[in-house]
Amino acid sequence: MKKLIKKISQFIKKILIGDLFIIFIFIVLTGYLSSILWNFPQGEYLKIQMGKQEIGSFSLNQNLTKIIEGPIGKTEVIIESGKVRISKSPCTKKYCIYQGWINQLNQIIVCVPNQISISIIGNQSDYDSLNY
Amino acid sequence: MHYNKLILILIFFLTGCYQNEIMKKKDYIFGTIVEVTIYGETEDTSNHAIELVFEEFSRLHNYLHPWEKSIIQDINQSIKKQEIYRTEDTEIFSILKHNQELELITHGYFNPAIGKLIEAWGFHADKFATGRPNSNLIDNLQRKLPHMSEINIHNGYINSKNKNIQLDLGGYAKGYALDQARRILDENNINNALINIGGNILALGRHGDRNWVVGIQNPRKPSSIASIILEPGWSIGTSGDYQRYFIVDNQRYSHLIDPNTGYPANNSQSATILFPPTESSGTLSDVYSKPLFIAPEELKYNLAKELGIDFYMIVMADGKILISSGMLNLIKWHEKIDKKNITVH
Repeated sequence: MKKLIKKISQFIKKILIGDLFIIFIFIVLTGYLSSILWNFPQGEYLKIQMGKQEIGSFSLNQNLTKIIEGPIGKTEVIIESGKVRISKSPCTKKYCIYQGWINQLNQIIVCVPNQISISIIGNQSDYDSLNY
Repeated sequence: MHYNKLILILIFFLTGCYQNEIMKKKDYIFGTIVEVTIYGETEDTSNHAIELVFEEFSRLHNYLHPWEKSIIQDINQSIKKQEIYRTEDTEIFSILKHNQELELITHGYFNPAIGKLIEAWGFHADKFATGRPNSNLIDNLQRKLPHMSEINIHNGYINSKNKNIQLDLGGYAKGYALDQARRILDENNINNALINIGGNILALGRHGDRNWVVGIQNPRKPSSIASIILEPGWSIGTSGDYQRYFIVDNQRYSHLIDPNTGYPANNSQSATILFPPTESSGTLSDVYSKPLFIAPEELKYNLAKELGIDFYMIVMADGKILISSGMLNLIKWHEKIDKKNITVH
């Protein structure tokens, strides 16, 4: 055991700034690649909420532009080929617009000033298919 | 040595990521969404089987279409012209004979000969008319209500003396397609699958180590009212007034026409039934939900008993729920349901 610790400390002493740089790049690259290549479950519906009120759920299998009236103005949400974004917002910082498209289960965009949140929900957790 | 073990563990996790247990495909057939989910097969096997099932659905869609070119339309034309329809096709004979039996057992609540009434209400179009038809026309058609028993079906020919017969198998085709899909998947050794045709669902086998679970649509909200576990081979069907309907003067007119009045039945929002595995359970789960939807409230219980439907749930027009005790045991509510609003049969 002592031998191992000694070896590791010798190893750490040998690390140079360039090595650290490579290790850092490696970690970032691994994180980035796993985030885009990992099989995240796809969502099926978009749930829109304004404050405590649920505006509704909309299928992602459609092209739809939805305008929601919030406390400070109108927020525009676009559903397009299975993904969703906020395209217009009355808030000042526009963080919600900068988040861009979302399409994966449990992803959420929130516009705090206008009290609007849009999230992607699926039916994976509750059931396999829907009887209607 | 230690590194070898570590690498083995890492490889185990890598394969875990890429194993796709579920294959799910959707298409638009029968004027609705069809969806087939297959569990635990390779991608190629699943794709091939799903393709065969979708091909069969398209064939049946074209074969039984009520108002476009199909064998049904040809038979309707022959009956209208008082001619004999001759064919070597044995499938249509067994389908029509089954429909005759079903009309008798359901006391005429299921009547596939009333195509003229359904057409008069504007449901023979991909987009429905948004007006009420002339009530004289409806009353007239209802007075001359045709029956399946007035069709002569012999090997080789079909005819009828009643010109008012117009076949519309819209309430039968999707259920029949479920049973056909089961046959195809069986033939291709697919043991675990879930088939959904416009909301009518048949479960084959299981989803791995658990049973398949399906949600039941709330008739008035874009969410599920409950979910239910389907044991291997079981099917579920719903008749509702919220998919094919139009509203005039705040009055909802659905496609579920009561043959006894000629008007859309309006005492219920939805009727859901669960059917144990039999050779035609897909068909029956589709067909039998109609009588339960249409029949007056006081007759629903006896009708269910007579038809051997042990598992059903009916959401009445006022939102109250009639449910069989068998169904109540299986159902898992997704909403808070006031006990006062539930009547257990």
